[in-house]
Amino acid sequence: MRRIESQIDTNAADYKANYAAMSERLKEFHARQHAARFERPQRDIDRLARQNKLGVRERLKLLLDPGTPFLEFSTLAACREYDGTVPGAAVVTGIGIVQGREVAIHANDASVKGGAWYPHTVKKIVRLLDVALENRLPVIHICDSAGGFLPLQHGVFPDRYLGGRVFRNQVKLSQANIPQIAVVGGHCTAGGAYVPTLSDYNIIIEGTGAIFLGGPPLVKAATGEEVGVQELGGAVMHTSVSGTGDYRAATEQHAFSLAREIVSQWKRMPKTIIETASYEEPFYDPKELYGIIPKDRKTQFDMREVLARIVDGSRFHEYQPDYGTTMVCGFAHIWGYKVGILANNGVLFNDSSLKAAHFMQLCNQNRTPLVFFQNITGYMVGREYEERGIAKDGAKMLMAQGGSVVPKFTVIANASYGAGNYGMCGRAWDARTLFMWPQAEIGVMGADQAANTMADVKIRQLQREGKELTEEEIAAIREPVLEKYKRDVEAYTSTSELWDDGILDPADTRNALGISISASLNAPIDDPHYGIFRL
Amino acid sequence: MQRIFQIDGEETDCWLGHDGSRFVLHTPTRAVACQLDPTGLPGGYTLRAKGVVRELRLAVGPEATFVHMNGRTYEVGRVDPAERLAGSDGGASDDRLVAPMPGVVVSVAVKPGDAVKEGQPLLVIESMKLETTLVAPRSGVVAEMPFAVGDSFGLKDILAQLAPEEE
Repeated sequence: MRRIESQIDTNAADYKANYAAMSERLKEFHARQHAARFERPQRDIDRLARQNKLGVRERLKLLLDPGTPFLEFSTLAACREYDGTVPGAAVVTGIGIVQGREVAIHANDASVKGGAWYPHTVKKIVRLLDVALENRLPVIHICDSAGGFLPLQHGVFPDRYLGGRVFRNQVKLSQANIPQIAVVGGHCTAGGAYVPTLSDYNIIIEGTGAIFLGGPPLVKAATGEEVGVQELGGAVMHTSVSGTGDYRAATEQHAFSLAREIVSQWKRMPKTIIETASYEEPFYDPKELYGIIPKDRKTQFDMREVLARIVDGSRFHEYQPDYGTTMVCGFAHIWGYKVGILANNGVLFNDSSLKAAHFMQLCNQNRTPLVFFQNITGYMVGREYEERGIAKDGAKMLMAQGGSVVPKFTVIANASYGAGNYGMCGRAWDARTLFMWPQAEIGVMGADQAANTMADVKIRQLQREGKELTEEEIAAIREPVLEKYKRDVEAYTSTSELWDDGILDPADTRNALGISISASLNAPIDDPHYGIFRL
Repeated sequence: MQRIFQIDGEETDCWLGHDGSRFVLHTPTRAVACQLDPTGLPGGYTLRAKGVVRELRLAVGPEATFVHMNGRTYEVGRVDPAERLAGSDGGASDDRLVAPMPGVVVSVAVKPGDAVKEGQPLLVIESMKLETTLVAPRSGVVAEMPFAVGDSFGLKDILAQLAPEEE
């Protein structure tokens, strides 16, 4: 496979300006990520110490194989909710390695509101369990939660994808022969009691772990019975009397070494075999991405320059290089895994849509996973294009993309507007993982266009009422709309709402994709089949 | 498929095959049976070909392999045939820049009479919320820039015209 020949001049003024702008953004991003992971009020840290509990990050360290990667999801979930008081939505999720096996991890963070489940906590856990189901990954739950956050119970409990879905997904995992372990390092109360009880194996830490449908205060209120935590649902009672618990651990360290021992007992399932090549680092430095991504989102850039800093050896076999050129399609390897790449070099036209649809069919036929790099402002509009059937060519692309049986992965590298987001495997289209770069935007349309559209509607309405508007009055209508919309389309809003699996430093994209692809091969790949293409 | 090797700067076509019992090196003119066995030293091998036995050391890099034999080091580069045989890219370049889609001119960097180099930005257009810089398809002199800043243009309109090249 040939190497992409980069045209980037790392001494050019543009490059340097872009590099500086991206470095600034990344400084903020890394600071926010660090705060969400580690910065807590002193009283919360003291409380954990008083309770004789380890923090969630220390627990992960005990569980995971040393020196192996941990792909953490949605570190900044809920960063724009609850006044920023629930970092990471009070839960850590991700894919890690335990005893050489890829596992999905769901760990409550008791340093945030006692690990209470907020609406975004539930969304994050459900997403993790969906990842486990899609990729057939065993799950390790680390339970330490105060229970549902009662003031927001309507956002935690009743709907299809809320609380019940956590347990429903646990049942579906078990039914699909995917093992689960729960390590109970705190209280599992009410619904939370079902996390360890629906797991194949559970371990309760003596003194701190407890499982009960109703805690001591609730029991007292309901029946008048006075009972302590340990008698009601502690490790000794459950592992020797009720059979609700399987293993009793003397300490946290003991609990996680038991969990590791259990994982090593599991039958190793063969992974799906796809084409591979020997691993090669990119020829061009991934950090050069900082200078390639324009500081102004409207400026066009060549996605091949991006690919050259992500794929093995910067090697890329481009498919149909001279046709539908706004859609770059081709084969490459990431961590040695062969992938088919679709990347936007402009608006989607009729020819670029057809090329994408054809290329995806090709990849499904030869079992090549798909990776999407989005920088898409939409499908082309206008009479000429409607007459050529842009809507029906877009539909073909959706039919091929949505009907794909191979694993799909999406990186929102810059713009993700409108139907382009759909065609390029946006959140609704089941990408196994979907990541955003910090400067990327997602919305029905760009901020300026949306603000203008909304302002125009308002202005016309006022004009119909016979009002003449001055330039200032128009600006006064437009500005607040623009400000709000600009914030709504930012990557931080997306990641706060879990419309993605996290924001990435662009230089980390290669590794995030590598882990994602490797994990996806735990699930089989079906034979290709599609719906009806509107030809 | 053939392989092209560059041995000390000189290109050689060859292909390594296997006849069931040993390797055979095919060159355009002949086929040579050969055998390569590790000696146990780092990168050390014994090469047997045409009745001759040679001790050699190999160092394999991403771009080239270095062979040390008889007190000399040979650099053997691998040339990708698809790249080598593709010839010059794109063929004859056009004198005109044609609009890839309808849009508006954002800025114009040159005027008629200016000398430009291949790849030099001529103008920036905006369409579908994207700004695209259009560059000179070849070096030459600008003949016409039909659109000014703010002008709208249609699909396939000519956005820049270079003076014809003198033969």
